[in-house]
Amino acid sequence: MSVRMATSVGAVPLANPVMAASGTFGYGLDLIDFCPPERLGAVVSKGLSPRPRPGNPMPRIVETAAGMINAIGLQNIGVEAFCRDALPQLRARGAVVVVNVFGARMEEYLEVVARCEREAGVAAYELNVSCPNVSAGGMEFGHDPALLETLTRRCRDATRRPLWVKLSPNAPDLVATARAAVAGGADALTLINTVRAMAIDAAARRPVLANGCGGLSGPAVKPIALRMVWEVHRALPEVPLVGIGGVETGRDAAEFLLAGASAVQVGTATFRDPAAPLRIVAELERFCETQGVADVRDLIGGLQWR
Amino acid sequence: MIARRDLAVRVAARTDLSPTCFRIALATPEPLAAAPGQFAMVACGEGFDPLLRRAFSIAGVARREGHTLVELMVKEVGRGSALLRRAPLGAELRLLAPLGNGFTLSPGEGGPLALVAGGIGLPPLLFAAERLAAQGVAFDLYLGAATAAELLEAERCRRAAAAAGGELVCATDDGSAGEAGLVTAALERRLETGRRYARVLVCGPNPMLRALARLARERKLDAELSLEEPMGCGVGVCLGCVVELADGRMVPSCKEGPVFPASRLAARWSE
Ligand SMILES: Cc1cc2nc3c(=O)[nH]c(=O)nc-3n(C[C@H](O)[C@H](O)[C@H](O)COP(=O)(O)OP(=O)(O)OC[C@H]3O[C@@H](n4cnc5c(N)ncnc54)[C@H](O)[C@@H]3O)c2cc1C
Ligand SMILES: Cc1cc2nc3c(=O)[nH]c(=O)nc-3n(C[C@H](O)[C@H](O)[C@H](O)COP(=O)(O)O)c2cc1C
Ligand code: FES
Repeated sequence: MSVRMATSVGAVPLANPVMAASGTFGYGLDLIDFCPPERLGAVVSKGLSPRPRPGNPMPRIVETAAGMINAIGLQNIGVEAFCRDALPQLRARGAVVVVNVFGARMEEYLEVVARCEREAGVAAYELNVSCPNVSAGGMEFGHDPALLETLTRRCRDATRRPLWVKLSPNAPDLVATARAAVAGGADALTLINTVRAMAIDAAARRPVLANGCGGLSGPAVKPIALRMVWEVHRALPEVPLVGIGGVETGRDAAEFLLAGASAVQVGTATFRDPAAPLRIVAELERFCETQGVADVRDLIGGLQWR
Repeated sequence: MIARRDLAVRVAARTDLSPTCFRIALATPEPLAAAPGQFAMVACGEGFDPLLRRAFSIAGVARREGHTLVELMVKEVGRGSALLRRAPLGAELRLLAPLGNGFTLSPGEGGPLALVAGGIGLPPLLFAAERLAAQGVAFDLYLGAATAAELLEAERCRRAAAAAGGELVCATDDGSAGEAGLVTAALERRLETGRRYARVLVCGPNPMLRALARLARERKLDAELSLEEPMGCGVGVCLGCVVELADGRMVPSCKEGPVFPASRLAARWSE
């Protein structure tokens, strides 16, 4: 039996439902020898800001039980270098490119979007709203529904391309933030970003990370991510969702689709296995085969419960 | 550049080198080449504990009876290294290699090379030493450890150094073997008495690297340091391993390193 693997996230058609996540796949070209970007559903860029950022002091990562905490501090080459050095090559390879955008102020998000509007070959924008808004005393954009709605609307007004908002699991009310993003004009929601976390070195009586806290990712967060995808899907069944958090296998991907996601992203798994996103495409296809699922889209929201 | 590969390897041999360190040979039918200073990311177990691969310098690669043998030298410090110590012969692991750059091994102006290893910093320098010996390039090898029992592979080191007319200098912190004190001090004493080197290649704990960077700045030595930043991916995509350079850039040491000329590193390395 051959399985139809094509899907879409709103208006963005994907050859298969597996994307490489933001921050774990470089700028899309770093792992071409293991995972050619054009063979994935899409690749999401590392979070881009208007200008290059050096990131946080070291140490920036620490492994924890079935997970890792990172405080990279959004180090990136800046949108200009991305458009000049990476995007043309990704375009030439035929990769579907999602640009992950962040800023310390609303204007910075708009600057990144405006710069990318001059380029062909961007399939969608994904707003990373898990960063502190310096203009509002450091409150994260994704934690305040009103602020999130305004940010999304202003980005919406700046582009006709599909706009995704990547939700933070740390927001006080997940469904309220999801609604706010949609009210602001988001075409799809990605969830989840990393879970705020901490590791402590007891002998040194210090936090392990130089930044104190960071974001937890990997298999440890998968149950949280599944629950969140399912909750948002139930509250907003018409909104396309992209599931992310601890996807390590094709079966994990299937779980996210069943919970209501139209596609998944693979993050930390790529650190363990540079071919993970591609392997997961093959595993998901095999899972469908053994389950007698002819079209991968039949899994989406297919959770049977009540 | 040698193409990196993610290979299934089998534990072919293991030998204890000291109370805490061991040598492990990993075999694969696939061809694999590496340069001294390059490293491998090894999946030490199955499942999610440990989650991430561990970085180990390549201590040697040889082709024998249709197999490639990759040699590592490991100090048991935690979960991943303990799993490697206990993995039964024949157990399958995954090894992503070769990664990173390597040391500059060409002979230089103004004297032989100096190779300086502290503790478990030896593996990339033993690899370099045996390459240099095979190529007939002269070098002295400085080998430092806390105690005599932790001086690794001293006999192999002596043979390699002697092959091209060089010397092995051992130093232990407690004076139980070789010269008493730090290996950097042993190097400095020889520089004081007029010994000159074209280049100094170094791997060891951070305090030792700092001491060497300082020495390199003061005496205008051409020094290359192999750094050990904690690594998440080993392939440049997590940015967990960055090193600050003199020009202010933060670069992933897994990709632009792990070997850096001391002069390229930010000033705080040599302060
Ligand atoms: C490029 C490179 C080459 C290396 N080569 C060798 C080698 O040839 N032989 C060898 O024995 N070790 C080498 N290391 C260090 C080795 O990677 C760590 O000892 C190993 O990751 C520890 O894993 P673990 O699970 O046993 O310990 P963990 O349980 O992860 O940690 C135990 C202790 O080791 C420290 N540690 C963890 N990771 C690192 C790290 N990457 N570098 C330094 N300290 C760490 C932790 O802070 C902790 O105190 C190298 C590291 C790098 C980056
Ligand atoms: C090292 C690292 C860097 C990340 N950088 C970004 C980023 O720049 N932008 C972003 O939206 N998410 C970033 N993330 C979050 C991931 O995209 C993902 O949402 C999260 O890690 C959960 O998925 P996972 O468990 O598959 O890793 C990063 C995650 C890690 C581990
Ligand atoms: S270890 Fe991930 S970037 Fe170097």
